[in-house]
Amino acid sequence: MLTLKQSRRLQTVLIATLAWLVALAIFFPIFWMILTSFKTEIDAFATPPQLFFTPTLENYVHIDERSDYFHFAWNSVVISFGSTLAGMLLAVPAAYSMAFFETKRTKSTLLWMLSTKMLPPVGVLVPIYLLFKDAGLLDTKTGLVIIYTLINLPIMVWMVYTYFKEIPKDILEAARLDGATPAQEIYRVLLPIGKGGLASTVLLSLILCWNEAFWSLNLTASSAAPLTAMVASYSSPEGLFWAKLSAVSTLACAPILIFGWLSQKQLVRGLSFGAVK
Amino acid sequence: MDITSTTTQGATSAATKRSLRSARKGGRAQLSGLSRQRIRTAWLFLLPMIAGLGFVAGWPLLRTIYLGFTDATLSSIDSYAFVGFENYLVYDNGEWYGLLADGLWWQAVWNTLYLTVLSVSIETVLGVLIALILHAKFPGRGLVRAAILIPWAIPTVVSAKMWGWMLHDQFGIINDLFLKLHLISEPIAWTVNPDTVLGTIIAVDVWKTTPFMALLTLAALQMLPKDCYEAARVDGIHPVKVFFKVTLPLIKPALVVAVVFRMLDALRIFDLVYILTSNSEDTIVMSVYARQALIDFQQIGYGSAASTLLFLLVFGLTLAYIFATRLKLDGSGDH
Repeated sequence: MLTLKQSRRLQTVLIATLAWLVALAIFFPIFWMILTSFKTEIDAFATPPQLFFTPTLENYVHIDERSDYFHFAWNSVVISFGSTLAGMLLAVPAAYSMAFFETKRTKSTLLWMLSTKMLPPVGVLVPIYLLFKDAGLLDTKTGLVIIYTLINLPIMVWMVYTYFKEIPKDILEAARLDGATPAQEIYRVLLPIGKGGLASTVLLSLILCWNEAFWSLNLTASSAAPLTAMVASYSSPEGLFWAKLSAVSTLACAPILIFGWLSQKQLVRGLSFGAVK
Repeated sequence: MDITSTTTQGATSAATKRSLRSARKGGRAQLSGLSRQRIRTAWLFLLPMIAGLGFVAGWPLLRTIYLGFTDATLSSIDSYAFVGFENYLVYDNGEWYGLLADGLWWQAVWNTLYLTVLSVSIETVLGVLIALILHAKFPGRGLVRAAILIPWAIPTVVSAKMWGWMLHDQFGIINDLFLKLHLISEPIAWTVNPDTVLGTIIAVDVWKTTPFMALLTLAALQMLPKDCYEAARVDGIHPVKVFFKVTLPLIKPALVVAVVFRMLDALRIFDLVYILTSNSEDTIVMSVYARQALIDFQQIGYGSAASTLLFLLVFGLTLAYIFATRLKLDGSGDH
C-alpha cells in the first residue's frame, strides 16, 4: 500500500518536473523580451547578452510620449470581443444544424468552409480592399469585426461541430419530448453540456483576433488600428531599437496574457465539468 | 431570468397548440410535421454562416481567378486585357515563360511543402505530448498551462521580431547560450545561412503553434469518458498501450480537425518567413512569392495567377488529406 502511494508520488514529481521544464523552455523567449524591454538600448546590445543590468523605464516613457497606447488597446478589445461574439452567434446554430441534422451535403459544406482558408490573404487583398473602400468600411472597427468574424468562422464551426458530435443524441431527444424548440435545445441543453468545448472555442477566437496583423495593417490607418498595428509602426523604420520594440511588444501582449491567465482557471473548470459520458 | 421563463412558456404553449392541432390529424402526421419544422429551423440556422462565408470565399476567389488571366497591374487596375494562360505558361521566341516555367516558383512550392510537412508533424506529436502532461494532476498546473499557451497568444509580428533578435549572429542570446553549452564552436547567422535558415523557421513555427495543438488536444482529452480509464487501470494495462488503444482513437476526430487547420495555415505561411528572412530566395514560400509579384512588382495579373495556383495546390492537398482520414473521421462519430 505504501509503495503504491510512493510510486504515485514519484510519478507526480516526475510529471511536474517535466511540465515545469517544458514550460520554462517555451516561456524563455517571452521572458527575454520582457527583460530586454527594461534595458537601455546600449545594454540591449551588450555582448555577451546581459542577464543582470540596471532596469530602466525609459522605453515605456518613450512609448507613452509617442503613441496613445489605450486607444490601440481599446480597439483591440472591441474588435476581438465583437468578432468573437458575432462568430459564436453564427457558428453555434450552424454547428447544431450540421451535427444533429446531418444530410448528404454536411460533409461537403464542412469542406467548402475550409476553402476560405485556402487563398493567401495577399491574393484577395485587392478585391477586399476595393470592396471595403466602396462600402466605407476602411479604417472602421466594424470592418475589422466583419473580416475577422468571417476569417475565423470556419475553425469555430468545425470546433463546435466536433464537440457537438460527441454529445449523445438521446439527451436532445429527451428535451425534444419535453417540447423544447431548437433554440431552447441549444440554449438549455447543448450550451451547459458543451461549455468546456465552447469556452476553448471562444478563447481561440479571441486570441486569433488579437494577433491578426495582415488585415489590420492593410485595412486600418489610425482610428480603428489595433495593437498589432502599433507594434508594426515601431518596427519598420527603427528596426534597430530593440529595447523599444521589446517594450511595445510587451505592452501589446500584456492584455491578452492577463486575460488568458484569468480565463485559464475558468477554462479549466469549464473543461473538466464539460465531460458528458 | 424573467425573460427566459416567458420565452419558455410562450414557446411551450405554441408547441402545445401545434401538437394539439396536428393531433387531430393523427399521430404519425404530428411527428413528421414537427420534425419537418425542425429540419427547416436547422436549415435556417445554417444559412447565416453559409451566406457570410460565401461572401468571403466565393467572390474574392472568383475575382482572383479571373484576374489571373489578365495583365492587370496595380496602376492600371481598371483597364486590363485578357491574356489567357500567359501568366501560367507561354512559349515565346523559343523560350518558355510564365509561372510554371519559373524556377523560383518551384523553389517556393518545394520550400512550402517541406516546411508544412516537417512543422505540422513535429507540432502534432509535441502538442499531444504536452497535452497529456498538462492533463495529469500536478502542483502549479494552472500556471504551467498558462505559460505554455503564451507563444501562441502573441502576435506573429511580435514573436518573429523577437526571435530575429534572439537569433542575431552578434547580439543574440541563442548563439551565446549554444556557445556556452559547447553545442556550436562559433556564432551562426541562423536566419542568413542557407543550411540553417529553413530549420530555424521550422523551429520558430513549432515553438509558436505547438500550443494550438496542445490546447485543442487538451480540450478533447477532457471530453473523454473517465470510466474507460478506470477499467484500463483496474485491468492493469500499460499506460502506453492505453494511450494507443483508447486515448488516441478517441481524440482522433479533434486531432484530424486541428491538423487540417494547421496544414492550411502552414501552406499559406507568410509573416514568419517574411519578417525573419524578407524576400530571400533560400526561404521563399508561395505566399511570399505571390506578395512579391502583387505588391513589390505590382503585377496583379501574375500575382493573382500565383495565388490561384496556391489555392489549387492547397485545395488538392486538403482534399487528399480529408479523403485519407475520412474513414476515421466518420467511424468515431458513432462512439
